[in-house]
Amino acid sequence: MGMEDGDIPLDDKAKRMRDLLSSFYSTDPPHSMPANTSSKYATLDTINTTSFDAHQYMNLLVQKSNLESLLQRHVEMAAEIKNLDTDLQMLVYENYNKFISATDTIKRMKNNVVGMESNMEQLLEKIMSVQSRSDGVNTSLFEKREHIEKLHRTRNLLRKVQFIYDLPSRLGKCIKSEAYADAVRFYTGAMPIFKAYGDSSFQDCKRASEEAVAVIIKNLQGKLFADSESIQARAEAAMLLKQLNFPVDSLKVKLLEKLEQFIDNLQLESTEISNAVVGRDEPPKQGKTAESVPSSHEASTYEFVEAVRAYRVIFPDSEQQLIKLAHDLVTKHFEAIQQQIKRQICSTDLLGLLRVIWTNVLLMDEVLPDVALSDFSLEASRLAVKHYIDSTFSHLLLDISDALTRPKEGAEEEYYLQSALDASKKAVTEGSMHVLQDFRQLLDNDLGLLVKLRELIIDWVQEGFQDFFRKLDDRFLLLSGKTNLTSQDRGLTEETQKVKVLSGLILVMAQLSVFIEQNAIPRITEELAASFSGGGVRGYEYGLAFVPAEICRIFRSAGEKFLHLYINMRAQKISILLRKRFTTPNWVKHKEPREVHMFVDLFLQELEAIGTEVKQILPQGLHRKHSRTDSNGSTISSRSNPLRDDKMSRSSAQRARSQLLETHLAKLFKQKMEIFTKIEHTQESVVTTIVKLCLKSLQEFVRLQTFNRSGFQQIQLDIQFLRTTLKETVEDEAAIDFLFDEVVVAAAERCLDPIPLEPPILDKLIQAKLTKTSVQSPTSSSPHGITKRERAEEGEASVNTACFCRVVLQSLLFKELRGYMMEAQPCETISQPRVKAVIRLGSETYSVNASKGILSEQLVSMKEESMSILKDFITKHNVPNDVPDEIDDISSGDDDDGETSEKVTLKSKKQRK
Amino acid sequence: MQGGSTGIGYGLKYQARCIADVKADTDHTSFIAGTLSLKEENEVHLIRLSSGGTELVCEGLFSHPNEIWDLSSCPFDQRIFSTVFSSGESYGAAIWQIPELYGQLNSPQLERIGSLDAHNSKIKCTLWWPSGRHDKLISIDEQNLYLWSLDSSKKTVQVQSQESAGMLHYLSGGAWDPHDVNSVASTCESSIQFWDLRTMKKTNSIEHAHVRNVDYDTKKKFILVTAEDESGIHIWDLRMLKVPILELLDMHTGILYTDCCLPTLMTWAVRCNPEYDGLVLSAGTDSAVNLWTASPPSSDDLSSESLMESHTRSVDPLLNSYSDYEDSVYGLAWSSREPWIFASLSYDGRVVVESIKPHLSKK
Repeated sequence: MGMEDGDIPLDDKAKRMRDLLSSFYSTDPPHSMPANTSSKYATLDTINTTSFDAHQYMNLLVQKSNLESLLQRHVEMAAEIKNLDTDLQMLVYENYNKFISATDTIKRMKNNVVGMESNMEQLLEKIMSVQSRSDGVNTSLFEKREHIEKLHRTRNLLRKVQFIYDLPSRLGKCIKSEAYADAVRFYTGAMPIFKAYGDSSFQDCKRASEEAVAVIIKNLQGKLFADSESIQARAEAAMLLKQLNFPVDSLKVKLLEKLEQFIDNLQLESTEISNAVVGRDEPPKQGKTAESVPSSHEASTYEFVEAVRAYRVIFPDSEQQLIKLAHDLVTKHFEAIQQQIKRQICSTDLLGLLRVIWTNVLLMDEVLPDVALSDFSLEASRLAVKHYIDSTFSHLLLDISDALTRPKEGAEEEYYLQSALDASKKAVTEGSMHVLQDFRQLLDNDLGLLVKLRELIIDWVQEGFQDFFRKLDDRFLLLSGKTNLTSQDRGLTEETQKVKVLSGLILVMAQLSVFIEQNAIPRITEELAASFSGGGVRGYEYGLAFVPAEICRIFRSAGEKFLHLYINMRAQKISILLRKRFTTPNWVKHKEPREVHMFVDLFLQELEAIGTEVKQILPQGLHRKHSRTDSNGSTISSRSNPLRDDKMSRSSAQRARSQLLETHLAKLFKQKMEIFTKIEHTQESVVTTIVKLCLKSLQEFVRLQTFNRSGFQQIQLDIQFLRTTLKETVEDEAAIDFLFDEVVVAAAERCLDPIPLEPPILDKLIQAKLTKTSVQSPTSSSPHGITKRERAEEGEASVNTACFCRVVLQSLLFKELRGYMMEAQPCETISQPRVKAVIRLGSETYSVNASKGILSEQLVSMKEESMSILKDFITKHNVPNDVPDEIDDISSGDDDDGETSEKVTLKSKKQRK
Repeated sequence: MQGGSTGIGYGLKYQARCIADVKADTDHTSFIAGTLSLKEENEVHLIRLSSGGTELVCEGLFSHPNEIWDLSSCPFDQRIFSTVFSSGESYGAAIWQIPELYGQLNSPQLERIGSLDAHNSKIKCTLWWPSGRHDKLISIDEQNLYLWSLDSSKKTVQVQSQESAGMLHYLSGGAWDPHDVNSVASTCESSIQFWDLRTMKKTNSIEHAHVRNVDYDTKKKFILVTAEDESGIHIWDLRMLKVPILELLDMHTGILYTDCCLPTLMTWAVRCNPEYDGLVLSAGTDSAVNLWTASPPSSDDLSSESLMESHTRSVDPLLNSYSDYEDSVYGLAWSSREPWIFASLSYDGRVVVESIKPHLSKK
């Protein structure tokens, strides 16, 4: 037992467990043991088992027990044996008793079976007699039964005949009580009989009932078509009609037609209503109509929906047609909308219409859920809204170009450009703001349709703006006549456009482009960012559809383009004038200069016109005068200017030559002159650039000619005059000065005998001219401030009237007018109208009267009037161009006059001094 | 775009307007230029580009009696050229021959082999038969067009036919069609006129104002390039005279305004390259020579489609601008021997020869 140390409890426990398990699973383990092993494991319990071995048991007992327990066991066992014996005896006794009683029963049975045979025979006999009797009864009653059955059949038949005879009246009753269902049941019941005997015995009856049925059918049809009937009733009617074998399909078609017609009516109604909306001009009423439209509309739609619902119930298999109908309805609605859009409606109206449609669609959707009508209408409204946005933009475009090209009537002539600019600016900002507002209304609305389209709308609006501005740029180009059109319409437009294009318009467009770039686009971008962001259906790689940077770039370049175009147009106009001036006379035989040439006036006039245009449109620049140190290159030339004047005044060809050399030398040393700097959107910059261009072309024209001394002097005089007058207006004085010098140098170079005018004479002539111009335009606000203009005071008016007459006449003298009689009659009287002129042009006579103001003003107004008369005359008589040619020819005619007048001028000056 | 001083320079003594390529000189690239000086002794310079192409050498210097307003070289004899000249009021035109052995002579005199003295108004230009040995010559004055026949050996020149352009037209210049030797284009104030030399009648005209200069495309038939005061350079197809097929300066202004903010100035000369298709030179008051690539739609596919394409195409047509000039540039000539070389002459008498080779690849 060495294992006792730690394993015993475990072993014990395991063993017990095993035993328990084995006793549980096998009821009798010792039985299964083989015999040889039984001794080994035998216990005292085996006494009650079948494999009990007495010897073994004994041995075991003896081995295991002590004496006392053996004795006790003995006693126990003896008692048990005694008990067992008694039990056994009892069992044997009971079994015996049972055996005896069984024997007794068998004996009794043997006795009872003996009398049974005779009884059985009796029974058989009696059954036989019963059978014969019942056969007799059966045969005796057979005949009667047959008869009864026949009678019964006849009765049934009679009842049916009775029913058929009653049918018409029964049907009539049914009709009366509107129990059509019963009537139909009866009629269908009677139908087989009518089929079998209808032609023979029941003819009348059949006819009558058929008549009744016809009535029924008619009633049923009426019922079916009657909107007032309940849907069930109508459905029942349809069912009954079907049972009566009535061609229901035709009914269906009819009903469908009715529905279609209904749609048509509805549509008609809606267009009428919308017509009313459009037709109404007063804005306050619009709200009302917009509300009333849906209400009346809704009502009719309800009806339609009800009808559809009924139809659907009545004809359950008619989906397709109904779908088609519904689609038709929606399509028609949208067609109406498209028409509306064409007529330019505002978004509230569009919203109203869309709302109507949407309610309709929702209603229809209830009735026909599987039509996907909402999808369909979503698609349609997508188109409609897109169309709306597109058309809004195109209207905006039209508005703007209208504002550009058609200035407001009644605007003062002088400010028409400004008004056009203002109007178009307004059109751009207000128009686009309005458009945005419109679109915002679309967005803000919580209409189911539009909510779904929200992102798309945002994209469209953005795209729309992008597109709109591109188109606006194109439109501008078209208006400027500078588009690259396709070859087909190019020829046409070029002819028409070029004539139409006004230089002012181009200037307006230039400034408008700048405005769009600087003001409108940022504002629109802001607005868009505020309320139209988050579209992005297009996907992020494209970014937002509206790219302000690109549009800004387009318009910046457009602004510059138009400004250049304007400058070029204006400069070219002057350039033509200059060309005429230089190609016409024979410069080699030029006469001595007596006064500043006409073309200078025309040039200044042009500049003045430019000035008025520019003033209206462009802002004033920072008034920085181009100081001489600003541009390096010009210093020499401008400094050399007084110097050269000095030299020129020495009046020797030699000097002139050395001066030429000097210029060349100067050119060598100085930097290349930056004459053309960047053009800015300011009055000064534009005017300066035009002047520069003109001077440059003047130089070119001069270079093409050869001058005699007088010709050169004339140029010198003209240039000197221009120089003094233009100095005030232009910006880049140094460059302009340089250009003036260049012209004079060019003339000197091309002169056979370049001896300049003596400074006193030059000065005198210029002063004379200045006096003249200042008197001519004492009140006019010419942009080129004439330095001596201040001198034009009342005192000047006292100068002899004859002098003024000459001034007036001189400026009126055109080559084309040579040969026309002309007469000016200055009135010497002191009474109010003091200046009066009568101009006879061929057969026509015009008189000019100046009536107010001081004398000089009268003269000015007279001059202007007579100028306009002449202009009209010239244009009326279609003289090829209005550029005046050499005035010399004329002045040579009245040379004496001229000289006297000059004298007069001088005299007047002296008087003043 | 500002071209540096890449060109080779050569200075004339006086102001000058005209330079011409000596076409008949097949051995050298040479140009001939005449000065325009009212008071000095005028000169004709025969300039040759050295074999290395690095410098301009004066091959001959001849005095010319009057200031030269136009000059053209005879296409078949390198020693013959014609000038239009004036002195004060009087104008004249003459054909000159450079004397043989002029290298040895100290002060060689030009030999006058013919005077075109039938003119009675201001002569504008002379035109030689476009190519090859031919005795025909055209001179244009303000009102008339003269066709001369020249006998260079006998040194006589005779008026063959003459036609007046009409009182209202002041002719200003012209060009001889290299593809159709019977056709000459002349420019006047309001239009370009086309003349048939056989009948001396006007065949056609383009109503287009203020054309300064005109040149035929020597490679492509029916293509005419004009330069005018108002809007730059136009390219015309002679079969569709209504509208130009291309406007160069227009595109220039349309596209380049943001970079180049100069306003349009007069263009005085325009020349088509004799070899490379669509290369056009222009020069004018802006003291610059511009090299354009103007590929008008080819004459075969003048469908509207290709026209559209050419209009929408946003390729910058201005290849280069040579702006290293002090004064307006009036003279311009391509070398026919080396067609990538051109000579330009600014008013201050500076001849600059440039090579366009670096820009050929760009085209």
